[in-house]
Formats: sequence, C-alpha cells, structure tokens
Amino acid sequence: MSQPKVIIVSSDDEKFPVELKVAEKSILIKNMVNDLNPDGLEEDFELPTPNVKSTVLAKVLEWCEHHKDSIFPDDDEEDAKKSAPVDEWDKNFLQVDQEMLYEIILAANYLNIRPLLDSGCKIVAEMIRGKSPEELRRTFNIVNDFSPEEEAAIRRENEWAEDR
Amino acid sequence: MSSPSSTNYSDEMVPTSQQQQQHPQQVQHHSRHPHASSYLNNITNDSNPQAHKSKTSTTANSIPFQMDNDSDDSDYKDLRNSLISKRRSSSNATINNSTHNQFRNEIQRLNYANSYLLKLPTEVLLQIFHHLERKDLYSLLTVCQEFADLIIEILWFRPNMQNDSSFKKIKSIMELSEAQTHWNYRSFIKRLNLSFMTKLVDDDLLSLFIGCPKLERLTLVNCTKLTHQPITSTLIKCERLQSIDLTGVTDIHDNIILALAENCTRLQGLYAPGCGKVSESAIIKLLKSCPMLKRVKFNNSENITDESILAMYENCKSLVEIDLHTCSNVTDKYLQLIFRYMTQLREFRISCAPKVTDDLFNLLPEDFYLEKLRIIDITNCNAITDKLVEKLVFHAPRIRNVVLSKCMQITDASLRALSQLGRSLHYIHLGHCLLITDFGVASLVRSCHRIQYIDLACCTQLTDWTLVELSNLPKLRRIGLVKCNLISDNGILEFVRRRGEQDCLERVHLSYCSNLTIGPIYLLLKNCPKLTHLSLTGIVAFLRNDITTFCREPPPDFTESQRNSFCVFSGHGVNQLRNFLTESMEENQAHILNHGDMHAIALERRRFLLNGGNIANNNNNNPNNNPDGANVNSDVNNSPNVTNMRADITNANNGQIGIGIGIEGDEMSPGNGGVDVTQWIGERFTLPQGLGGNLGTEDMRGHFQTMIRNHHQSRIRRQQIQQYQMQQLQSQQSQLQMADESQEGGIEPGPQNPEDLSEDSFTPQVQFGQNAPQLFQPAVFRDRFVYNGNGEEEDVDMEQNETQNVNLFPRPPPNGS
Repeated sequence: MSQPKVIIVSSDDEKFPVELKVAEKSILIKNMVNDLNPDGLEEDFELPTPNVKSTVLAKVLEWCEHHKDSIFPDDDEEDAKKSAPVDEWDKNFLQVDQEMLYEIILAANYLNIRPLLDSGCKIVAEMIRGKSPEELRRTFNIVNDFSPEEEAAIRRENEWAEDR
Repeated sequence: MSSPSSTNYSDEMVPTSQQQQQHPQQVQHHSRHPHASSYLNNITNDSNPQAHKSKTSTTANSIPFQMDNDSDDSDYKDLRNSLISKRRSSSNATINNSTHNQFRNEIQRLNYANSYLLKLPTEVLLQIFHHLERKDLYSLLTVCQEFADLIIEILWFRPNMQNDSSFKKIKSIMELSEAQTHWNYRSFIKRLNLSFMTKLVDDDLLSLFIGCPKLERLTLVNCTKLTHQPITSTLIKCERLQSIDLTGVTDIHDNIILALAENCTRLQGLYAPGCGKVSESAIIKLLKSCPMLKRVKFNNSENITDESILAMYENCKSLVEIDLHTCSNVTDKYLQLIFRYMTQLREFRISCAPKVTDDLFNLLPEDFYLEKLRIIDITNCNAITDKLVEKLVFHAPRIRNVVLSKCMQITDASLRALSQLGRSLHYIHLGHCLLITDFGVASLVRSCHRIQYIDLACCTQLTDWTLVELSNLPKLRRIGLVKCNLISDNGILEFVRRRGEQDCLERVHLSYCSNLTIGPIYLLLKNCPKLTHLSLTGIVAFLRNDITTFCREPPPDFTESQRNSFCVFSGHGVNQLRNFLTESMEENQAHILNHGDMHAIALERRRFLLNGGNIANNNNNNPNNNPDGANVNSDVNNSPNVTNMRADITNANNGQIGIGIGIEGDEMSPGNGGVDVTQWIGERFTLPQGLGGNLGTEDMRGHFQTMIRNHHQSRIRRQQIQQYQMQQLQSQQSQLQMADESQEGGIEPGPQNPEDLSEDSFTPQVQFGQNAPQLFQPAVFRDRFVYNGNGEEEDVDMEQNETQNVNLFPRPPPNGS
C-alpha cells in the first residue's frame, strides 16, 4: 500500500477509505487530519462523521472524487462565485430527489465543502426562481400560515420589490 | 466648452460607471449617473479600477471603510450575521396564547416536519436567497411566516428607490403610520440612498424616513432641494450611522454637523463638500465626537483652518481619506503632523490653498515612508514647486494617483521625479502646468508603463512628440490633451499607427486642438473600439451639421457661442460618429469629409479612382486599371494608372462630378504637373526611413520638430491667404480667381499666391487643413462661427475664450519662423 488513506465513517458505521486528496475537499476533514497528524499522514486514519448517513456520504465522496483535481475560486471572490453558473457535471450529479438534495447540502455545510454547497444552493435557487407563492408552497411542501388579510397586506406593502 | 466658473478643460465629460471623474462645477448629468455623482469633487476616482472592484469583492475587514456605493456582497454578510443570530434566539421564545397563534404554531410544526427547505440552517437559506432576484424574494415572502421574517429584512435592508414606480410605492407605504402596516419598516432600513431620484426628493420625502433607528448609511447625493431641518431630524437617535454622503446638498448648516456629533458617534464617513456655511466650531465638535472617522470631505469652506486639521490629528487617528478641496485657509502647519503620524492615510486632497508649500513633508524623517498613501491631489496650490514633488516621490514610492494640475511652478523636473514611481503610477493629472515640455512627458511615460489616465490639458508647449511617447503606454484608457494646440494631424496619425488596432483607449479629450481634421480622428475612432468619450469642442473641422448631429447636448448653462463650438461625443454618439465616418469612407463618399488631408482618404480615393469609379471620366475607360489600389503603391510613378488617376482628379477638380477631392490642390492641377499622388502621399505620411520605432529620441524629436515647423509655416501662410480671401470676400471684390466651378463643386480654390505655390510643392505639410472650404460656405458654417479676422493669438485661459468666439487660427509656435 503506497499511500495511507483517510477512512471516513458514516453515522451508520459504514467505512469509506479514500485518498487524502479526495478527503481534503472537506475543509473540516482537512483540518482534523492536519491537527491530529502534525507530521503528515503515515498510516490509515479513521474519522467519524456522526452527522452524515452512508447513502449521503457515498454521494458526497463521489463528488469529491470527481473534483479531486478541480481548482475552485477563493472564498473571497464572492462575485465570481455568485455569478458563475452551476458546473454541468454538478448539475447532473444533483439531479436527485429533494430529500437527497437537502441531505447533500446539509452534509456539504457540515463538512465545509464550499463548492458543493454553492452548487446545491444554486440548484435550490433555480427551483425557487420564477414561481408564485402557491407554486412554491407546493414545490417545497409548505402550508400557508398567514391569514388571507395578512398575506394581502404584506403583498401590498412590499409590492415595490416586484419592480426591477 | 465648460461652465463659466471653471477653467478645468479636462473635465467636460460625463462620468461613466468606472470613470467617475467630475469637477464640482460641472455636474450636468448626475441624474443619469447616480453612482458617479457621489464622487463629485473627487477628481481622482476616474483612474482607480482596483479600488472600485475591491469594494465588491472583499470583505469589510480587508479594506478600509468605504462610503456607501450599493455594493451588495459585503453588506449582505452583515445582514446575514444579524439574521442568523436573530433566528436562533427567536426559535426558542415563541410563547403565544391566542388561539390563532396556537393554530399557526401547529402549522409551523407541520411545515418543519414536511419541508426539507425549512429544515435548512439559516445560513444556508440565506445563501440560497443570495442567488435570487428581488422579485423572487417577493414571491417567497408570503409563502410562510418563517421565510417572511427573514426576507422582509433583506428587502428593507436597502429599499430600492431606483425607479419611478418603486419609489412611489415605497413612499406611499412610508406615509402610513406604524400601526397601519404589518411591520414597522423603518426598523429594517439600514441603507438609505435617495440619490437615484433626486428630482423627487424634497424635505417632505426625507421626513418620511425620520426614525430609522438602525440606519447605517445615508446617501443624499445631489438631493439639492433638501434643507437642513429634515436631514437633522433624520439623524436623531441614529447611533449606528456609519456614513453620510451630502455631496451636492447645498443647505448644510451647523445643526446637521452638530446632530452628527451628538447622535452618530460611530460615524466613519462624512462627505460634505458643500460645507461652506458650517462654522469651524461645529466641525471641531464633530471631529472630537467621532473618533472612528475614516473618510472626511470638507470642501469649499473658508471657515476651515488649521484648527480643524489639529482636531483631526488629535482625535481621528484612523483617517484614511482627507479631502479639503478649496479650503483656502488651510496651511502646512498641522498637515505636516497628519503626514507624519497618520500612517493609515491613503488619500489626501487639497486645492486652492496658497499656504500649502514645499514644507508639507518637512517633518518626515529621512527613512520614513508613507506606505499607505495612494492618492494625492494638490490642485492649484501655487506655492508648490518641483521640490515637493521630489520629496513626495521619495517618501511615497507606491503612490498611484498624482494630481498637480494648475500648480504653475511645476516643470519637467517634477516629471523626471515622478518617473521614479515606475509601475506604481496609474493616474497623473498635470493640466495647466504650462512649463512642462515633451522632454518631461517622455521621461515620465518611458518609466511609468502602467499609466491609465493622463491629463495634460493646456500644456501648450507639448507637440506631436508627446503623442508619440503616449502611444507606448499599453494600458492607457484616458487621455486629456485639451488645448494642446501644437498637436497636429501628423501626431494623431502617428499615435494611431503606433497603438495599432483594438486600442484600449476609452476617453479622449482633444478639444481646442484646433489644427486637427477629420481624417486622423476617423482612424482613431476605427482603432479604438472601446472609446466612449471623444471631445472635439472648438475644432473647426468638426463643427459641421452632419457631424455635430451626433454630438451631445451642450450643458444648459452654456452661452450661445459656447454652444456653437461645443462638440463632445459620448456613449452611443461615439459609435454613431464612427459609423458615419466609416460609411462615408466605404461608400466612396469621402468628399463629404473633404477636410481630411490624410492617408486613409487618399488611399480610399485612389482605390476609388483606380477601380474605375470614374463616374465622370467618360473619355477614359482604361483597361489597365488596377483593382487593388494598394498594389499600385510601390511602382506607381509614371505608370498609366497615375496619369489616368490624375486625369480623374483633374476632372473632379473641374467640378464635373461634384466631388471635392480630399487631396486636391495645386500640385494636382494641370498647370502644376510633375507631382505624383503616391509621392505626395509618401512625402506626407511616410516617416523617414527607420523611423518606425527604431529612431533615436533625438532624431525623432528632430523629425517631429521639422514636421511641426513645416506645418506651422504652411499654416501661417494659409492663414494669410485666407485672411486675404476673407477680405476679398467681404469687400465683394473678386480679385482672386475664385473659379466658379470650384464654388459649385464645393471646392475651395487652392492658394492663389504664386509665391506660396512654389513653396507648397516642396513642403508637403502645406496642404494641411487647406481644403477647409466650409469656411466660405455660409450654409454650413457662417452662423456657427464668426471669423476672427485679426488672427489674434489664442489665449490659453478658458475664461477669456468663453467670452470670445472660437479662434480659428491658433498662434504659431515659437520656432515657427
């Protein structure tokens, strides 16, 4: 065995051995590995991720594997990040049911994988865009908790926001 | 150009979004450029793309505090943090007893269970919202209360007052009392910018925003109708106010400044350029109450003296920007302390302060560097000499913007000193520094490759050589040469040739460079696709109806004669002008432009003629016509084509086809044979061998001086001729051989004086501007111009010029015989 691996353990105790390079896509894991192995990784290293189920972790690691050589713009290049369209591969990768999409977003948030979180958020934003409130409630399984009067007042008082 | 109160030739243009240069007196189009207007008075912003970019791309920590400029991203971070903590604390504290609320809580519990979206942490939700437009947020607003609480703060964080309709809607909501609305919207507003609809902003409107406790930024740029009371009231209890921009507000009283001092102790930015009425005691009180001040702009005040500077020095240790334009009573005394001890200082501006002297940096120790200083503007401080500039360069080696306009004592020595800034220098303004010469510009430009903005307005000693030097600046975006009236077509042609196609130039100011003609400007337009501004005011060749039709409206306060000579193209107008000139060329209608004694026209003309475009030349369908005019170029002497062509030209000259040929002239006329077109072009447009970049500077200079001298000699002669002709015309005695056919054909007869003719054929430059027939064509010109018959020397100063008519014939250069 040439390179020591990082073995990521899901909440349901499934083990995922991956290259260090792949694991380091998660800033959380990267920092933990570095903190606990100040002299560098010498042997396989096991890391539990108690918040992430195996099905989700598998997906997330698939993303990390695919992007292990990708270079992402820095965090502070807020402009570039905001305007860039979702990567084509990511778009297909995130063609999953809503539950899985949210699980991936949550995991990306927890594991601190900014580019994956960004793609996820953009996909959700895409689902929101151009819909009426009723359509949004249907899409996201939400029941209206406003009274009709309240809703009307809020709409009236904020109508300006509809203008370009 | 220019309004009566200003002598700043270079600032006649409308700012674009990136280039926000403006002069205080010349804000004509502020309503169309709200962003730019916040930089009124801020001469140097034009050139500072980095600074502007960084506003949107960096967080508040890494960059000094900025005045509100509507950049979203950094703002959004603040908002996000406050919302996250708010949502966290409120989630535990929902104890409601009414049945409706119980019902609602039930729904909310269900929603939480069923909707994945709602389960996302607040920071993720906010990140999603960040990708949405305002109207999508509006749809989400009424989906459920959970979202509404988040989104309402995002929407009202900065109410959008940028268009008529939303402005009115917001106004009508603000007119309702707190009890009449679902939320108290005033409590959400943190950014208030009323400078988009300045015509609609009056005291009543601003009064609607009294009582916004969380207000952080108040921008009232160009809200000229506002008086001091509502501004003062708005500030009451705004203890979180960080910045206030009162640029363009005229009624700034002590009570505004005192209200800031009393309520807004966390103030970081105050732009109050119109603070002339404010007493110094109020300003000192403010400076003492607001120790966090980072950016201050007090302009046009005689009340501000050294005492204010001392208060700044003692209380506001984190100042990064001090702007004291036209505060004439400020002296070196405490400014020396500022430079010595305020190590954060990044931008410093002052003007019209006669007691700011070379001693400004006297307190700085030998090895002291003003590491943060990037912008210095010392306009119209006549005590300043080259000594100060040398010290500046020594102590501030990383300075980026330097404005020394109207510092009359500045000479080439300053430019040589500035050249040591090398790559640091991006922006240099030397307008009205009358002593500087081509040598100074050359040494500056050769060392400072990154200059993007250069203004040399009214540096009347500069010649075409300066243009040759400027052509080497790869990043040049803005060039100001207003009233450098030694500049000729040759200089522009060479400039364009050297810079090549796809030039990055964006703004070019050539007003009152009175020798210029259409041809070179056409080439300039062609090679500069990014050009958004071109000013050609007061240049005779362009003051014709078919060209001025694309020109911007002159400012409303211009006098009739100013209007008549106004010729500024911006935005779409530049494209229209380019298209017009291109079409004229491509459709072989160069006769429209028969001012253009230039290469392109000549080539075009020749191609036209050689292509058998001899409409009128019925007797000469020569089979040898070469379809490619360019090929004829090399071996054209004595070839049949040339004869043919000359015949064409002759015919044209005779008015048979009504084309006023760009290169017509006496050497073309039958009586003056032996001068060949190619030779003519060659002489005029080809530089001596090896000049294409390999020539040494001295040779280059020599060459240009010869060119210029020839040019001016010929101009003087031409002037005499035209004066003579004018007299003849006026006295109705047609002693000159004003050939009838020429008149009909729109062609001015060439010089009639035999002495001139003989010399003309030896000095090619003599043709420059020769065909300016419109002068004698009343339909086009007469009402726009009054000929200044006495050939008076043109004065450099603006004020003088405004009262006169445009002088058509600038004075000859010192070396021009």
